[in-house]
Amino acid sequence: MLTVIVYGLAIGAIYAATALVYNVMYSTSKVLSVTTGHIPMLGGVFGAYFIAGLGLPILVGLAGAIAVGVLFNLLTEIVAVRRVLARSDEHLWLLSTLAVATMISQVMALWWGTEPKPFPRLIPQEFAQGIGDQKYWLPVLAAAVCAGSLELFYRRTMYGKLFIATSEDAFAARARGINTDRVRALSYMLSGALGGLAGFAAGQLTFAFFALGFALTLNGFIAIAVGGLGSNLGAVIGGLALGMMSSFATYLFGGEYQQTVAIGILILVLVIKPEGLFGSKQVRPV
Amino acid sequence: MTDRSHILRPVALLAGVAFLVLLPFLVRDQYQLHLAQLIGVYWILIAGLNLVVGYSGQLSVGHVGLLAVGAYAFAILTGRYDVSPVLALGASGALGGLCGLVLGLPSLRLPGFYFAMVTLAFAVIINEQSVAQTELTGGGVGLPAQGFSAPFASPQGFYWLVLGISALVTWLTWNVAHKMWGRAIIAVRDSEVAARSVGISVYRAKLIVFVFSGVTAGIAGALFASLQTYITPDTFVFELGLFFFTCIIIGGRGSILGPFIGTVVLTALPEVVAPLAKLGNFFYGLLLLIVVLLIPEGFGRLLTQAMTRLKPQAAESKVVAPDPARLKAALGTRAGNG
Amino acid sequence: MFTFVRGIRILSTLGLAALITLGVAHAQGKEPIKIGWLSSLTGPLSSAAIAENKGVEFAVDEINKRGGILGRPVELLTRDTAGEPTKAVNFANQLIHSDKVHIIMGPVNSGESLATVGVIAKAGVPNLILGALEALTDPVKYPRAFRMIVTNGQWIKAANNYAIDVLKKQKIAIVGDTSGYGTASAKQATEMLDKRGIKPVISLIIDANKADLTDEFTKMKAAGTDVIMPWSAATSLLARMFNTRGEMQWDVPIVGHPALMALPVKPLLNKPEYWSNAFGAGYLTTTYDEQGKLPQRTTELMEKLRPALGGTIDFTFWWVQVGYDSVKVIEHAITKAGSTDPAAIEKAMSESNGLVGSYTTYSWGPTKRDAFPDAEVVMNVAGSFKEGSFRLATGSK
Repeated sequence: MLTVIVYGLAIGAIYAATALVYNVMYSTSKVLSVTTGHIPMLGGVFGAYFIAGLGLPILVGLAGAIAVGVLFNLLTEIVAVRRVLARSDEHLWLLSTLAVATMISQVMALWWGTEPKPFPRLIPQEFAQGIGDQKYWLPVLAAAVCAGSLELFYRRTMYGKLFIATSEDAFAARARGINTDRVRALSYMLSGALGGLAGFAAGQLTFAFFALGFALTLNGFIAIAVGGLGSNLGAVIGGLALGMMSSFATYLFGGEYQQTVAIGILILVLVIKPEGLFGSKQVRPV
Repeated sequence: MTDRSHILRPVALLAGVAFLVLLPFLVRDQYQLHLAQLIGVYWILIAGLNLVVGYSGQLSVGHVGLLAVGAYAFAILTGRYDVSPVLALGASGALGGLCGLVLGLPSLRLPGFYFAMVTLAFAVIINEQSVAQTELTGGGVGLPAQGFSAPFASPQGFYWLVLGISALVTWLTWNVAHKMWGRAIIAVRDSEVAARSVGISVYRAKLIVFVFSGVTAGIAGALFASLQTYITPDTFVFELGLFFFTCIIIGGRGSILGPFIGTVVLTALPEVVAPLAKLGNFFYGLLLLIVVLLIPEGFGRLLTQAMTRLKPQAAESKVVAPDPARLKAALGTRAGNG
Repeated sequence: MFTFVRGIRILSTLGLAALITLGVAHAQGKEPIKIGWLSSLTGPLSSAAIAENKGVEFAVDEINKRGGILGRPVELLTRDTAGEPTKAVNFANQLIHSDKVHIIMGPVNSGESLATVGVIAKAGVPNLILGALEALTDPVKYPRAFRMIVTNGQWIKAANNYAIDVLKKQKIAIVGDTSGYGTASAKQATEMLDKRGIKPVISLIIDANKADLTDEFTKMKAAGTDVIMPWSAATSLLARMFNTRGEMQWDVPIVGHPALMALPVKPLLNKPEYWSNAFGAGYLTTTYDEQGKLPQRTTELMEKLRPALGGTIDFTFWWVQVGYDSVKVIEHAITKAGSTDPAAIEKAMSESNGLVGSYTTYSWGPTKRDAFPDAEVVMNVAGSFKEGSFRLATGSK
């Protein structure tokens, strides 16, 4: 029973981190990108590639995974978001990010392969640890670092305040001389770093696997939708809740109903409280 | 000159229809006919989906789930319960519509990304359950599906059945798009708030269109099952939903001919360009990105723009000037009375 | 004068021989024998398809170098189905109607094969089946479909027999994954155990990508399991099973699907010793004895193909064997039938008994469409991979 809880926390932490990435990107661009789940996937794959494939030291591999996340998300911003936001049609960014997500997924399938590949052991630790094994605690640690550093960033740093300003009212921010384009690009880079870190930390649990991308896009979205878009606390709570409920459902009903249960939770929350547990009602002046 | 353009359109239409009807005799072999049948079946679903995505702007990536529902319903009814294929066809359509209703009711109120994710989730559930419910769906092994009885049993006959149904569906969507209904749902797509302010029941419009797309998807699913003669869960993967979606976006939203051309091209292309088969999904993604960034209106619009440029246009006079004769008459009357 | 007459005679004989040869060649038209090959060279199960393809191409080359079949060159038409049943059906139609092939091999993927076997049968084209699911062959529904490989049931039977009769276990835990194959096989395994009067103590269906299996293993242990039988081809799931078992330090034997011995599992293991006490279904021809020697027909083919395979053989070798054998079987069938007439090929195949190939000895019959003999299914030891083959498990014949 304890393992059900620990496993739920670990997988929930990955969902929470993905939800945080959604949040940061959404705050400055009002875009929910389909590529979000692919950032942790890239973090895991490239972490395995750098350390196990190229033989680089672990910290270099970590830096590399984060760098890949940053680069990929920046690329997404430049290619799929920037040009598209200028137009009034709000559906275009969904299409462009979907296109980029499909392409990166296919490229990974062709280059890395369709089979999951092993992720190296990060901290020397005996394997028969049960619930104390690092593959459970590293994702939780990574999610905590992500959430904690985001809070510090928003509250204590200048750029954090810029992010908040841009997210609250982009026009006013621009009127005050904030370069919203650059802020948006920076926010994408930051969220890319967070995603890459989370994926790297989760690698031992999930293996380095290309299909993780779409799975995390969907589940990370469920986490943020349940927790409330725009709220970092909601992202964390939503992710952990989803992970735990998923874990318990699998334990009680078997693996065949895993996705069904997760989606059932989403539908339930959306019907009862569409803005999520901690989200605020979206009011738009017309 | 206007006379010519008036005749050109119906003539082109007639030629197109004649070509489609005579297709079984024009193709080289049964393989090409099979491709034509597949395109026709896909088009039945895409024509309905076109109203949802292209006209009312609801980005459904999960319609493959509704296709699966129709396909399995048909296979189960004709296989296990010995229902006649024609009846099963109707039942599949009805079931597709019902699923569309169940899916659309809670989710159509949600903003764009949420709605897309919910449709994706729906497709995932259908896939998961079609494997899990082995007694019903045969699980991973799948189910055989029957063919239709005469006169639709032969490949030509089946083709004409598909042609007939797709013509009907196309005509229905054309009507919706070009009458007031169409204007309403386009208004919903472009600006929900403005649409609401002129009294359009946004939610109802979206829902009716979505249910209609469910019916067409169900019918397409039944025909698909019959065409393939055997269905497994492997067939109804997310990539297929993405494919339908891409056909519409590439063809051009707000057009019927555009997505049709998109369907034909994207279905036939992997067959013609063999190396493309390996890169298939990457290619769809790339096409989608190019269209969104460079030609958001889709290739269909390019086509109509080219056509308008070819048509000789009489230069309309845009000068605003008084008409002296009428002015005098109007003033004269007043002066006369005064 | 004597030499002159002799010379004339020799010349005229030669001339006549030349005329006859030309005439025969002309009559044949040198029309190639077209073999359609549906293979999922990309996508899932691509590793099997790629290996089989090597065997196929080598066999076609070999035959053409010797003058082809019935004097006609062999033309191989390969179509990459990418693991998609719809594509497989499209390509099957293309091969049958556009390319007008005489016989079709594959698809490799069972899911695709399920979709194409009916289509190919309807057109009356002979089909060599390379998938394991039982439903793929049926002498009545698909009279011209002949299976080359083992059936799923044969794997399950061999594993069940080993677990029950040799390892003397009774409390069986069945594990399948959530894929089509996994759920179907788990069900089949349960039914076959039932026929032996044994009910599994627990049956689990696990998502192949589930990252942690501690709960599942705890459940199995609590149910008193004394042997775990997985029926999944997902190497990540199988590797995680070994890891979990090792970490729990629970020495329960794992007996089941051949994939548990496959090379992709190895790098996913946390410790190489986790691979011990595990046995997968295998074949006589790719099993080496205590001296480490393989059967002669296997080594013969291995040496012939070694240069083409790049020197080392680090994949499952029976795939290459079955690819090679498929083409050889076609050669045998067409030669025996004397033509490429489908009915004649069907007759020739259904009368082929005891055909010695590299992978196995093939026997079909008027109502028998599965060629692989039960006796050649053996149990191998996991972790004993060498040159595409495995060691025989003690107690297995």
